[in-house]
Amino acid sequence: MTDTVVKLRLNQQQLELMDRTIAQGVAPDRVSLVRLALREYAAARKAEAASGTPQ
Amino acid sequence: MTQRQIISEFVIEPGTGKAIELLQGQILRVEQIEGGQCADFNCFNLHDYKEFMHCGRTRTVHGFHPTKGSFMWSAPPRERAMLYILEDTVGRNDVLFPRCSAYVYEASYGFAVHTNCHDIQAEAQREYCLTPDDVHDSFNLFMCTGVDADGHAFMTRQTTRPGDHVDLLALMDVLAIPNVCGADVMKTSNFALKPLKLTVFAARPADLAEVPKVPTLASQRTPRDFRNPTIKSDRPLRRDPSYKPEFPNTPIVVTELPVPLTPEEVAIFNTVKRTDIYGDDDAAALRDLLFSWWEERFLLAHAGAPAIESQ
Repeated sequence: MTDTVVKLRLNQQQLELMDRTIAQGVAPDRVSLVRLALREYAAARKAEAASGTPQ
Repeated sequence: MTQRQIISEFVIEPGTGKAIELLQGQILRVEQIEGGQCADFNCFNLHDYKEFMHCGRTRTVHGFHPTKGSFMWSAPPRERAMLYILEDTVGRNDVLFPRCSAYVYEASYGFAVHTNCHDIQAEAQREYCLTPDDVHDSFNLFMCTGVDADGHAFMTRQTTRPGDHVDLLALMDVLAIPNVCGADVMKTSNFALKPLKLTVFAARPADLAEVPKVPTLASQRTPRDFRNPTIKSDRPLRRDPSYKPEFPNTPIVVTELPVPLTPEEVAIFNTVKRTDIYGDDDAAALRDLLFSWWEERFLLAHAGAPAIESQ
Protein backbone atom coordinates (compact mmCIF):
# COMPACT_ATOMS: atom_id res chain seq x y z
CA MET A 1 0.00 0.00 0.00
CA THR A 2 1.32 3.47 -0.83
CA ASP A 3 1.38 6.31 1.64
CA THR A 4 -1.04 9.20 1.39
CA VAL A 5 0.76 12.54 1.40
CA VAL A 6 -0.91 15.44 3.21
CA LYS A 7 0.75 18.76 2.43
CA LEU A 8 0.63 20.85 5.58
CA ARG A 9 0.72 24.62 5.06
CA LEU A 10 2.71 26.16 7.88
CA ASN A 11 4.10 29.63 8.45
CA GLN A 12 7.49 30.46 9.88
CA GLN A 13 6.16 30.87 13.43
CA GLN A 14 4.44 27.50 13.37
CA LEU A 15 7.60 25.90 12.02
CA GLU A 16 9.65 27.59 14.74
CA LEU A 17 7.41 26.07 17.43
CA MET A 18 7.77 22.65 15.79
CA ASP A 19 11.54 23.02 15.59
CA ARG A 20 11.85 24.08 19.24
CA THR A 21 9.76 21.05 20.19
CA ILE A 22 12.01 18.81 18.10
CA ALA A 23 15.07 20.37 19.78
CA GLN A 24 13.69 19.15 23.13
CA GLY A 25 13.99 15.60 21.82
CA VAL A 26 10.27 14.99 21.38
CA ALA A 27 10.73 13.75 17.79
CA PRO A 28 13.66 13.53 15.36
CA ASP A 29 12.19 15.70 12.60
CA ARG A 30 9.09 17.64 11.50
CA VAL A 31 7.33 14.74 9.78
CA SER A 32 7.93 12.49 12.77
CA LEU A 33 6.54 15.18 15.03
CA VAL A 34 3.31 15.35 13.02
CA ARG A 35 2.98 11.57 13.10
CA LEU A 36 3.59 11.53 16.85
CA ALA A 37 0.95 14.22 17.28
CA LEU A 38 -1.52 12.17 15.26
CA ARG A 39 -0.98 9.04 17.34
CA GLU A 40 -1.05 10.81 20.70
CA TYR A 41 -4.00 13.04 19.79
CA ALA A 42 -6.03 10.04 18.62
CA ALA A 43 -5.10 8.08 21.74
CA ALA A 44 -6.24 10.94 23.93
CA ARG A 45 -9.59 11.12 22.11
CA LYS A 46 -10.03 7.36 22.51
CA ALA A 47 -9.31 7.66 26.24
CA GLU A 48 -11.78 10.52 26.55
CA ALA A 49 -14.46 8.52 24.76
CA ALA A 50 -13.85 5.58 27.09
CA SER A 51 -14.11 7.78 30.19
CA GLY A 52 -17.05 9.81 28.91
CA THR A 53 -15.10 13.09 28.98
CA PRO A 54 -16.29 15.40 26.19
CA GLN A 55 -13.88 16.10 23.34
CA MET B 1 3.37 35.45 64.46
CA THR B 2 4.27 39.16 64.68
CA GLN B 3 1.60 41.78 64.06
CA ARG B 4 1.77 43.78 60.88
CA GLN B 5 2.77 47.40 61.37
CA ILE B 6 -0.08 49.77 60.49
CA ILE B 7 1.09 52.61 58.24
CA SER B 8 -2.20 54.42 57.70
CA GLU B 9 -5.95 53.98 58.09
CA PHE B 10 -8.87 55.60 56.29
CA VAL B 11 -12.61 55.28 56.11
CA ILE B 12 -14.10 55.96 52.71
CA GLU B 13 -17.65 57.21 53.01
CA PRO B 14 -20.45 56.37 50.55
CA GLY B 15 -19.98 58.27 47.31
CA THR B 16 -16.22 58.62 47.76
CA GLY B 17 -12.90 56.96 47.04
CA LYS B 18 -9.28 57.49 48.01
CA ALA B 19 -6.03 57.44 46.04
CA ILE B 20 -3.31 55.82 48.15
CA GLU B 21 0.41 55.58 47.42
CA LEU B 22 1.03 51.92 48.12
CA LEU B 23 4.70 51.08 47.98
CA GLN B 24 6.22 47.74 47.09
CA GLY B 25 5.96 45.50 50.13
CA GLN B 26 2.94 47.27 51.58
CA ILE B 27 -0.51 45.74 51.95
CA LEU B 28 -3.82 47.49 51.38
CA ARG B 29 -6.71 45.95 53.27
CA VAL B 30 -10.20 46.81 52.01
CA GLU B 31 -12.58 45.89 54.81
CA GLN B 32 -16.30 45.76 55.35
CA ILE B 33 -17.56 47.94 58.22
CA GLU B 34 -21.25 47.09 58.06
CA GLY B 35 -21.06 44.36 55.40
CA GLY B 36 -22.69 44.14 52.01
CA GLN B 37 -20.65 46.82 50.21
CA CYS B 38 -18.92 46.50 46.84
CA ALA B 39 -15.63 48.35 46.29
CA ASP B 40 -14.38 49.26 42.84
CA PHE B 41 -10.63 49.47 42.45
CA ASN B 42 -8.11 51.02 40.04
CA CYS B 43 -4.34 50.73 40.18
CA PHE B 44 -1.47 52.48 38.36
CA ASN B 45 2.30 52.17 38.44
CA LEU B 46 3.15 55.09 40.74
CA HIS B 47 6.12 56.07 38.56
CA ASP B 48 4.46 55.60 35.15
CA TYR B 49 0.69 55.93 35.02
CA LYS B 50 0.59 54.42 31.53
CA GLU B 51 1.13 51.05 33.22
CA PHE B 52 -2.17 50.15 34.84
CA MET B 53 -4.08 47.12 36.09
CA HIS B 54 -5.75 45.15 33.30
CA CYS B 55 -8.86 43.17 34.15
CA GLY B 56 -8.77 41.44 30.76
CA ARG B 57 -5.33 39.93 31.26
CA THR B 58 -6.15 39.16 34.90
CA ARG B 59 -9.32 37.24 34.02
CA THR B 60 -7.58 35.15 31.37
CA VAL B 61 -5.02 34.07 33.97
CA HIS B 62 -7.20 33.71 37.07
CA GLY B 63 -10.78 33.52 35.84
CA PHE B 64 -13.72 35.83 36.43
CA HIS B 65 -13.41 35.85 40.23
CA PRO B 66 -9.81 36.50 41.32
CA THR B 67 -9.30 35.67 44.98
CA LYS B 68 -6.56 34.68 47.42
CA GLY B 69 -3.53 33.51 45.46
CA SER B 70 -4.31 35.56 42.35
CA PHE B 71 -2.20 38.36 40.92
CA MET B 72 -3.49 41.57 39.39
CA TRP B 73 -1.66 42.12 36.09
CA SER B 74 -0.84 45.25 34.15
CA ALA B 75 -1.92 45.68 30.54
CA PRO B 76 0.15 44.61 27.54
CA PRO B 77 2.85 45.31 26.64
CA ARG B 78 3.92 45.63 30.31
CA GLU B 79 2.13 42.52 31.68
CA ARG B 80 3.69 42.56 35.11
CA ALA B 81 2.21 41.35 38.36
CA MET B 82 1.29 44.57 40.16
CA LEU B 83 -0.53 43.16 43.19
CA TYR B 84 -0.97 39.83 44.89
CA ILE B 85 -4.14 38.90 46.76
CA LEU B 86 -2.77 37.70 50.08
CA GLU B 87 -6.10 37.20 51.84
CA ASP B 88 -9.75 37.18 50.89
CA THR B 89 -12.22 36.19 53.58
CA VAL B 90 -15.15 36.02 51.14
CA GLY B 91 -13.74 34.77 47.83
CA ARG B 92 -16.19 36.50 45.55
CA ASN B 93 -14.72 39.36 43.49
CA ASP B 94 -15.33 40.35 39.89
CA VAL B 95 -13.43 41.28 36.75
CA LEU B 96 -16.38 40.90 34.38
CA PHE B 97 -18.29 44.12 34.92
CA PRO B 98 -17.03 47.54 33.99
CA ARG B 99 -17.41 50.34 36.51
CA CYS B 100 -20.89 51.77 36.74
CA SER B 101 -21.19 55.23 35.20
CA ALA B 102 -23.41 58.29 35.07
CA TYR B 103 -24.69 57.07 31.70
CA VAL B 104 -26.02 53.87 33.29
CA TYR B 105 -28.00 55.77 35.91
CA GLU B 106 -29.34 58.30 33.43
CA ALA B 107 -30.21 55.79 30.70
CA SER B 108 -31.71 53.09 32.90
CA TYR B 109 -32.95 54.93 36.00
CA GLY B 110 -33.49 58.53 34.83
CA PHE B 111 -31.07 60.20 37.25
CA ALA B 112 -29.58 63.55 36.21
CA VAL B 113 -26.86 62.99 38.81
CA HIS B 114 -26.13 59.81 40.73
CA THR B 115 -23.15 58.37 42.58
CA ASN B 116 -21.26 56.12 40.16
CA CYS B 117 -17.92 54.37 40.20
CA HIS B 118 -16.50 56.08 37.14
CA ASP B 119 -17.06 59.58 38.48
CA ILE B 120 -15.96 58.62 42.00
CA GLN B 121 -12.75 57.08 40.61
CA ALA B 122 -12.14 60.13 38.40
CA GLU B 123 -12.56 62.47 41.34
CA ALA B 124 -10.23 60.43 43.55
CA GLN B 125 -7.64 60.16 40.76
CA ARG B 126 -7.81 63.93 40.15
CA GLU B 127 -5.72 64.32 43.32
CA TYR B 128 -2.87 62.90 41.20
CA CYS B 129 -3.74 64.97 38.11
CA LEU B 130 -5.26 62.08 36.16
CA THR B 131 -8.26 62.80 33.93
CA PRO B 132 -11.63 61.03 33.69
CA ASP B 133 -10.29 59.32 30.56
CA ASP B 134 -7.58 57.65 32.65
CA VAL B 135 -10.04 55.63 34.77
CA HIS B 136 -9.70 52.00 33.69
CA ASP B 137 -11.77 48.83 34.00
CA SER B 138 -12.30 48.13 37.66
CA PHE B 139 -11.48 45.18 39.85
CA ASN B 140 -14.75 44.85 41.75
CA LEU B 141 -14.18 43.64 45.29
CA PHE B 142 -16.97 41.73 47.01
CA MET B 143 -19.10 41.94 43.85
CA CYS B 144 -21.12 38.77 43.28
CA THR B 145 -21.39 38.13 39.55
CA GLY B 146 -21.66 35.37 37.00
CA VAL B 147 -22.55 34.64 33.39
CA ASP B 148 -26.03 33.48 32.50
CA ALA B 149 -26.98 30.91 29.89
CA ASP B 150 -27.32 33.45 27.07
CA GLY B 151 -23.85 34.86 27.72
CA HIS B 152 -24.76 38.02 29.65
CA ALA B 153 -22.95 38.95 32.83
CA PHE B 154 -25.23 39.29 35.84
CA MET B 155 -24.79 40.58 39.36
CA THR B 156 -26.57 39.56 42.52
CA ARG B 157 -26.57 40.30 46.23
CA GLN B 158 -23.54 39.67 48.37
CA THR B 159 -23.23 37.98 51.75
CA THR B 160 -20.26 39.85 53.22
CA ARG B 161 -20.22 40.63 56.93
CA PRO B 162 -18.44 43.26 59.08
CA GLY B 163 -14.73 42.49 59.15
CA ASP B 164 -14.65 40.65 55.83
CA HIS B 165 -11.65 41.89 53.89
CA VAL B 166 -9.33 41.54 50.93
CA ASP B 167 -5.59 42.12 51.41
CA LEU B 168 -3.70 43.37 48.35
CA LEU B 169 0.11 43.21 48.51
CA ALA B 170 1.93 45.68 46.25
CA LEU B 171 4.62 44.02 44.14
CA MET B 172 5.66 47.42 42.76
CA ASP B 173 5.04 51.00 43.85
CA VAL B 174 1.45 51.77 42.83
CA LEU B 175 -1.27 54.33 43.17
CA ALA B 176 -4.15 52.25 44.53
CA ILE B 177 -7.63 53.73 44.31
CA PRO B 178 -10.52 51.93 46.00
CA ASN B 179 -13.97 53.51 46.05
CA VAL B 180 -17.31 52.73 47.61
CA CYS B 181 -19.40 51.51 44.68
CA GLY B 182 -22.12 54.05 43.95
CA ALA B 183 -24.85 51.54 43.10
CA ASP B 184 -27.73 51.79 45.57
CA VAL B 185 -30.49 50.89 43.13
CA MET B 186 -28.88 47.61 42.05
CA LYS B 187 -28.23 44.37 43.89
CA THR B 188 -24.44 45.00 43.87
CA SER B 189 -24.30 46.27 47.46
CA ASN B 190 -27.67 44.95 48.63
CA PHE B 191 -29.46 48.25 47.84
CA ALA B 192 -27.57 50.46 50.33
CA LEU B 193 -24.33 52.45 50.37
CA LYS B 194 -22.05 51.82 53.32
CA PRO B 195 -18.55 53.04 54.29
CA LEU B 196 -15.47 50.86 53.88
CA LYS B 197 -12.32 50.75 55.99
CA LEU B 198 -8.89 50.94 54.36
CA THR B 199 -5.72 49.99 56.20
CA VAL B 200 -2.17 50.08 54.85
CA PHE B 201 0.22 47.66 56.51
CA ALA B 202 3.90 46.91 56.10
CA ALA B 203 4.17 43.32 54.90
CA ARG B 204 5.95 40.89 57.20
CA PRO B 205 8.58 38.51 55.82
CA ALA B 206 5.99 35.74 56.16
CA ASP B 207 3.60 37.70 53.92
CA LEU B 208 6.25 38.19 51.26
CA ALA B 209 7.18 34.50 51.43
CA GLU B 210 3.63 33.57 50.38
CA VAL B 211 4.00 35.15 46.94
CA PRO B 212 4.79 32.61 44.20
CA LYS B 213 7.56 33.54 41.80
CA VAL B 214 6.42 34.65 38.36
CA PRO B 215 8.50 34.77 35.19
CA THR B 216 10.45 37.81 34.07
CA LEU B 217 10.35 37.79 30.26
CA ALA B 218 11.73 39.92 27.45
CA SER B 219 8.17 40.48 26.23
CA GLN B 220 7.32 42.50 29.37
CA ARG B 221 8.21 45.75 27.67
CA THR B 222 8.73 49.22 29.07
CA PRO B 223 8.90 52.59 27.30
CA ARG B 224 12.62 51.92 26.75
CA ASP B 225 11.52 49.24 24.29
CA PHE B 226 8.91 51.35 22.48
CA ARG B 227 9.49 52.73 18.99
CA ASN B 228 7.49 55.70 20.18
CA PRO B 229 8.03 56.24 23.92
CA THR B 230 6.64 59.78 23.99
CA ILE B 231 3.19 60.23 25.53
CA LYS B 232 0.95 62.19 23.18
CA SER B 233 0.14 65.57 24.71
CA ASP B 234 -2.66 66.79 22.44
CA ARG B 235 -6.03 65.28 21.55
CA PRO B 236 -6.42 65.17 17.76
CA LEU B 237 -4.95 62.24 15.86
CA ARG B 238 -2.80 63.15 12.89
CA ARG B 239 -0.85 60.85 10.62
CA ASP B 240 2.93 60.74 11.09
CA PRO B 241 4.27 61.27 7.54
CA SER B 242 7.53 59.52 8.45
CA TYR B 243 5.74 56.35 9.61
CA LYS B 244 6.96 53.11 8.09
CA PRO B 245 5.25 49.94 9.31
CA GLU B 246 7.44 47.52 11.27
CA PHE B 247 5.07 44.74 12.24
CA PRO B 248 6.86 41.87 13.96
CA ASN B 249 7.59 38.66 12.07
CA THR B 250 6.26 39.99 8.78
CA PRO B 251 5.83 39.04 6.07
CA ILE B 252 4.16 35.82 7.18
CA VAL B 253 5.45 33.21 4.77
CA VAL B 254 3.65 29.89 4.33
CA THR B 255 5.59 26.82 3.24
CA GLU B 256 4.45 23.30 2.49
CA LEU B 257 5.47 20.34 4.60
CA PRO B 258 4.56 17.07 2.84
CA VAL B 259 3.65 14.47 5.46
CA PRO B 260 3.38 10.88 4.22
CA LEU B 261 0.79 8.91 6.19
CA THR B 262 0.56 5.15 6.14
CA PRO B 263 -2.85 3.56 5.51
CA GLU B 264 -3.04 2.87 9.25
CA GLU B 265 -2.30 6.52 10.03
CA VAL B 266 -4.88 7.67 7.49
CA ALA B 267 -7.44 5.45 9.20
CA ILE B 268 -6.56 7.00 12.58
CA PHE B 269 -6.69 10.48 11.09
CA ASN B 270 -10.12 9.83 9.61
CA THR B 271 -11.48 8.99 13.06
CA VAL B 272 -10.36 12.27 14.65
CA LYS B 273 -10.14 14.93 11.95
CA ARG B 274 -12.51 17.87 12.27
CA THR B 275 -14.49 17.58 9.05
CA ASP B 276 -17.21 19.69 10.72
CA ILE B 277 -14.85 22.64 10.49
CA TYR B 278 -12.47 21.81 7.64
CA GLY B 279 -14.62 19.70 5.33
CA ASP B 280 -12.37 17.79 2.92
CA ASP B 281 -9.33 20.03 3.57
CA ASP B 282 -7.16 17.36 5.19
CA ALA B 283 -4.15 19.69 5.32
CA ALA B 284 -6.04 22.18 7.49
CA ALA B 285 -7.45 19.38 9.64
CA LEU B 286 -4.00 17.87 10.22
CA ARG B 287 -2.54 21.28 11.08
CA ASP B 288 -5.35 21.75 13.62
CA LEU B 289 -4.61 18.34 15.08
CA LEU B 290 -0.88 19.11 15.32
CA PHE B 291 -1.29 22.34 17.27
CA SER B 292 -4.22 21.08 19.33
CA TRP B 293 -1.94 18.22 20.40
CA TRP B 294 0.84 20.68 21.18
CA GLU B 295 -1.49 22.70 23.43
CA GLU B 296 -2.64 19.58 25.25
CA ARG B 297 0.87 18.30 25.81
CA PHE B 298 2.90 21.43 26.45
CA LEU B 299 0.73 24.38 27.54
CA LEU B 300 0.99 25.23 31.23
CA ALA B 301 -1.99 27.59 31.16
CA HIS B 302 -5.43 27.81 29.61
CA ALA B 303 -5.19 28.40 25.86
CA GLY B 304 -4.75 32.11 25.21
CA ALA B 305 -3.56 32.83 28.75
CA PRO B 306 0.09 33.29 29.66
CA ALA B 307 1.77 30.73 31.87
CA ILE B 308 2.74 32.36 35.16
CA GLU B 309 4.74 29.57 36.70
CA SER B 310 8.36 30.57 37.07
CA GLN B 311 10.72 28.18 35.31
